[in-house]
Amino acid sequence: MTEMVNEQTERERHIRAYGAMILSRTLDRKIITAQRQGRVGFYTPSMGQEAGQIGLSMALDKDDLLFQYYRDVALMIHRGVPIETLINQVMGNKEDLAKGRQMPSHFLAEEQNFMSVQSPVATNLPLAVGAAYAVKYRKEDRIVVASFGEGSSSTPDFHAALNMAAVWNLPIIFFCENNGWAISLPVEKQTKVDIWKKAEAYGIKGLHADGNSIDDSYRVAKEAVEHVRSGKGPVLMEVRFFRMGPHSTSDDPTKYQTDIVKEGDERDPVVINERLFKEKGYLTDEVIERIKAESIRIVNEKFDACEKIEAPAPETMFQDVYEKMPWNISEEMEEIL
Amino acid sequence: MTTMNMVQAINHTLDMKMSADDSVVLLGEDIGVDGGVFRVTEGLQKKYGQERVMDTPLVELGIVGAAIGMAINGLRPVPEIQFQDFIYTAFDQIINQMAKMRYRTAGRLPLPLVLRTPYGGGVRGGIYHSQSGESYFVHTAGLTVVTPSNPYDAKGLLSSSMDMNDPVIFMEPKRLYRAAKAEVPEEDYREEIGKAKLVHEGDKMTIITYGSMVPTVLSTVQKNNLDADVLDLRTLLPIDVDSIEASVKKTGRVMIVHEAPRTLGMGAEISALISERMIEYLYAPIIRVTGPDTPIPYRLEEYYLPNEKRIAEAAEKILNFR
Ligand SMILES: Cc1ncc(C[n+]2csc(CCOP(=O)(O)OP(=O)(O)O)c2C)c(N)n1
Repeated sequence: MTEMVNEQTERERHIRAYGAMILSRTLDRKIITAQRQGRVGFYTPSMGQEAGQIGLSMALDKDDLLFQYYRDVALMIHRGVPIETLINQVMGNKEDLAKGRQMPSHFLAEEQNFMSVQSPVATNLPLAVGAAYAVKYRKEDRIVVASFGEGSSSTPDFHAALNMAAVWNLPIIFFCENNGWAISLPVEKQTKVDIWKKAEAYGIKGLHADGNSIDDSYRVAKEAVEHVRSGKGPVLMEVRFFRMGPHSTSDDPTKYQTDIVKEGDERDPVVINERLFKEKGYLTDEVIERIKAESIRIVNEKFDACEKIEAPAPETMFQDVYEKMPWNISEEMEEIL
Repeated sequence: MTTMNMVQAINHTLDMKMSADDSVVLLGEDIGVDGGVFRVTEGLQKKYGQERVMDTPLVELGIVGAAIGMAINGLRPVPEIQFQDFIYTAFDQIINQMAKMRYRTAGRLPLPLVLRTPYGGGVRGGIYHSQSGESYFVHTAGLTVVTPSNPYDAKGLLSSSMDMNDPVIFMEPKRLYRAAKAEVPEEDYREEIGKAKLVHEGDKMTIITYGSMVPTVLSTVQKNNLDADVLDLRTLLPIDVDSIEASVKKTGRVMIVHEAPRTLGMGAEISALISERMIEYLYAPIIRVTGPDTPIPYRLEEYYLPNEKRIAEAAEKILNFR
């Protein structure tokens, strides 16, 4: 009996994971197309990174705190961020939680414990360290995750964060999403050592997973989470996958990259996990088709609705610089509006 | 003569300098194979090799620090910071090493180095791809800060900057990169550092501006038939106080236009200089038309950037002041 229940929940977990992957992929595709049509200003696709992100998400608890980066759409969707939240951000409309202040892809969803994305890469890492310190200080039952690309591991922020987190023995996972490229720079020119191995230099645990497999990423993320939750200190976890497509909608990868993984390629995580899940009996062709069709329907419907929402009111531009607006900003507001 | 946009003019200047002097090297993120995210260094790695056009790891602090070391040891590096918004992790290297090297070595270790970086808004870049950070650098003794407003000046000013034996922050208004083409001579020429250019002549008012705002000011002046001197500063440090003085003493009315936030922007320093040296020539208070003291929002960017309407309104106010 319990075996049957377990099988059932395993199956449900995998269908949910697959669903998040497809929804994320569908949304990506929609936004990229809309960008080409001039309906969206800019975007950094998450395509190719879905499986690793979802594997991580499956190992986390609802209360865990995330300092994500600009390519974490699958992670956010799997953790229950409504796709309207994402689309409104991309549109920068008045329903956007940050009032259209940031470029597309700079998501915020604090209700689902996602902090705010910044552009200067890796500057979220020291922040995550501070948040993890607060977790420890306040004896909260949660851990902190900071995600970033492998290029970001070259920054001083990366070094500072890992070192401090190690010295303070904090409950934090540094989640490195290695897609092989930092815009045009291949990882071989970024660093001379595997990212996860850098953990040893800081005296923390280093782990790596096949980021193209939800199951493998989950297995390793679970180990990382257990390590961190049991008070043994930080983990640096690296997942590897492929950046499918450009760095951003402003980038032309054909200038520097010959081998670009296309959708449907055998290295596409959708193809890989579909196959694996089918083999394990979690998915059937019928379920796959239903999830795909449903995702397209949901994305189209929500996208159209969000696109109709107007821009934030001009005066909002002057708000939230401070809790109280100082005289100089009120004067400027009066002059400009 | 050929016509070039600013991207082409800068590319052409770098090319010229590199072919003339093999101590000139370039380093930065994505500047080699990719040719730079704005294509400013397009083709240069192919032509001069990876040793002279370096795709660095993602670390601004390292790019700037290493450039300083290269300059100390015989090279003439031209590092690129992809967006000025990302220069701040290198701030310590710029403020505490680059700016102070000549002084702290009594001139024994000069730094022939030009740090290029695109800045400013108008490309829907939101908070982190739009900032105009000139004030941070203009506040720092030991730096020279230059910003062209057109392809011709871009070449002349970059050439002069690369001749210098002092570090230059060369700020490129990214909004103007491809905005206009201009005649740019193929041959070598220089535009003097520290010298403003009178880009429109008039008697009733002086408009002082630079970089991305120059075309906006000029179009406003033309559309409204303003009888104004327009001074394109071109060098922000040191400021060309003589050109300012000559114009202000003639017109007695001053407007300063920049995209950067008002508080402690260039306008503040220029107003102070004018007040100290020629306040008795003024018929009206100095007016600043600038970006507000807020970050630059993504969706509402057009409200942030000074535009023709705001400049024209300010002009009316200045001209009608009695
Ligand atoms: C400090 C800083 N420097 C430069 C940039 C410009 N930039 C944006 S993304 C990027 C590459 C980041 O690569 P990686 O960390 O591997 O993440 P990926 O985009 O590949 O997911 C660069 C250089 C930036 N955002 N921040």
